Amino acid sequence: MNPVRMIIAGAATTALLALIAYGSAAPLPYHTAHDARLRLSWSARPERIEVCRTLSDEELAKLAEHMRQRVACEGVFASYTLRIDVDDQTIDESVIRGAGLRNDRPLYLLRDYPVPPGQHRFRVSLTRREKTDNDAAAFAKAVVPDVDTGLYAGRAQREAIEHSRRAQNAIPPQLMLDTVFSLTAQRVALVTFNAEHRTLELHAESPRR
Amino acid sequence: MQFLKRLFRRLLVVVEAALTRLFGWEWNPIHQAGTVSVLMLVVLLATGLYLVLMYRVGAPAASVARIAADPWLGGWIRTLHRYATDVFVIAAILHAIRIFSQDRSWGPRTIAWISGLFVFGAGMVLAWTGFVMAWDTFGERLAREGGRLLDVLPIFSEPISRIFAGDGAVPNAFFFVNLFIHIALPLGLGVGLWLHVSRVARPALLPPKPLMWGMVGALTIASVVLPAPLGPAANPLHLVTSTPTDVIVAWWLPLSEALSPTMAWGLGILAVVVALFVPRLTRQPRVAGWAPSTVDTRLCTGCNQCPQDCPWEAITMVKRDDDRPTLVAHVDPSLCVSCGICAGSCAPMGVGPPGRSGRDQLSTLRENTFPLLDNAQATPTIAVACAQAPASHLAALRDRGAHVHLVHCVGNLHSSVIELFIRHGAPGVIVFGCPPRDCVGREGPKWLHERLCNAREAELQPRVDKHRVSTGTMAPGDLAGTIRAYEAFRRELDALAPTQREHNIDLDVLCDPVPMEETTA
Repeated sequence: MNPVRMIIAGAATTALLALIAYGSAAPLPYHTAHDARLRLSWSARPERIEVCRTLSDEELAKLAEHMRQRVACEGVFASYTLRIDVDDQTIDESVIRGAGLRNDRPLYLLRDYPVPPGQHRFRVSLTRREKTDNDAAAFAKAVVPDVDTGLYAGRAQREAIEHSRRAQNAIPPQLMLDTVFSLTAQRVALVTFNAEHRTLELHAESPRR
Repeated sequence: MQFLKRLFRRLLVVVEAALTRLFGWEWNPIHQAGTVSVLMLVVLLATGLYLVLMYRVGAPAASVARIAADPWLGGWIRTLHRYATDVFVIAAILHAIRIFSQDRSWGPRTIAWISGLFVFGAGMVLAWTGFVMAWDTFGERLAREGGRLLDVLPIFSEPISRIFAGDGAVPNAFFFVNLFIHIALPLGLGVGLWLHVSRVARPALLPPKPLMWGMVGALTIASVVLPAPLGPAANPLHLVTSTPTDVIVAWWLPLSEALSPTMAWGLGILAVVVALFVPRLTRQPRVAGWAPSTVDTRLCTGCNQCPQDCPWEAITMVKRDDDRPTLVAHVDPSLCVSCGICAGSCAPMGVGPPGRSGRDQLSTLRENTFPLLDNAQATPTIAVACAQAPASHLAALRDRGAHVHLVHCVGNLHSSVIELFIRHGAPGVIVFGCPPRDCVGREGPKWLHERLCNAREAELQPRVDKHRVSTGTMAPGDLAGTIRAYEAFRRELDALAPTQREHNIDLDVLCDPVPMEETTA
């Protein structure tokens, strides 16, 4: 290879490598400088709406021993109406349900809404669609005589506690977040469900890693 | 499909010619696209070992930032890892396009095509997981898109995208699974690579050493001089205006983001299905130029040369069904790609694709070529070239007085053809092959050289004056090289005494341990 050709080949190699270097970290547009978003993200169990009754001793006796639950419940999992208002304008109103074919899985929510940067009034409400006679009933501790003995002693009480615990962890019939928030450009305002306080909360910062 | 094939062939000729002009055919990287891909996998493995030792699942962004900030090792090793990924993708795509446009993607090569797709797909997934490991804005973007695509599949109990919503730290389990895939997948990739070359004899896995070290050296220097930038650490609640994206690997990302997940899956699956069906869509009828080789068992002496020369391991030696004490060659048609290398390897001319065995070559010469030569005032110098040879080179040779004799591949050429030309009065024969790593028959130029110059079986007979025979390389983009080789050969011939034409030439005299017939089966 003569020197001129070597120089040309060297220059071409350098150009190819520079092209690869550029292509490996090219600035690809993603969001615009004026983008801002409201994001809803949570995972929580929907309420179980049940009709429960206490089985009689005769009914229990007909069941196999390990099937003898004092309280038998039948019901469905609740669905909810999600409504989002920004500055008194409704940007979304939809029905959300628990995941799974029978909607018995937790209710996963992840939605992004573009919102112009600036100060806004955000109203996010989640309202159970199914009506019950007494919402407090689900949280009342069941008082049932503990007739079980032996291996199953105390089971009725445990069932009642578990029933109550599930009800406590479920999304309450009505959730509402009504707040005024100043959303800056290129930021996301995140609304989550705080299972401990059973409220919707708005965050502007996320744990980094 | 035919249109695409022709289009790619034309484009490739232009690119190949340009690269040959720049680097010469010996260093033309496009001829080595497959081996360059493997070389890049080796580089990725070597650099990846270091990176994985320095990586921390508990602090992905911070650990990669620390690696990138290390000026002695981490910085350039990480960049080299990324550049090697880019070159792998480019080389693998070029390799696939070449194979497709050269009609090498069907029949016995189907397994190579399918496994090649698998290796490429696995490489893309590896690249994806690798970028996510860094957990910068680009990694987060890829992860988010991956989550969006996966969430439409009914396979996860909880939508993956929620991991990146920002309502909690991304769990370590996610980075652990990502790292696991990134480390485990190369094992599958190794299996894919083994399958890819399982049907070929003597697979060339790496480029020639000068090119190999040249590429590794150039990429290393580039990694030191042009370190790949690392984006800011991912923050799911921050909407960045752009990400430092590896568009060579993630070229599909803008398209995928613009489509709904269902559409993106649909397009992706369609592309994969079409790619998987390429062997079916490009399949040729196994007749004429694509007919598998056959063996004339009456001529086969059991010398075991054709199985050794076959680049596809399509020939085995089996027991004869007559009383002769030797083995006989057997061609497996399902493995034979009809390259015709065996025709050039068989001294008694008992094997080869129909119409291309040594005997067929001689009879073509006698019936078609010699009458043309006999009409000329003086027998011209013969330039034998491959049928794939560029037309401009052939025209240049004709302009310089050569008679151009085309063969399917120079690896097909039986040395007796050269002998016959010279004994018929040709002053000399120069055989132009394709660049060694650009031969559609894989090993044509290599075996030609061995047969003509190193006495490999079916060798050019000692009675032929070797000064009258030469070999050269005819590479698109190197017309000057072709002309130079031809003219140098002509000058050598001019110094020799004129040849005497022989009559009643009997070439078969050395090949008569078994009764022969003039026709092959």
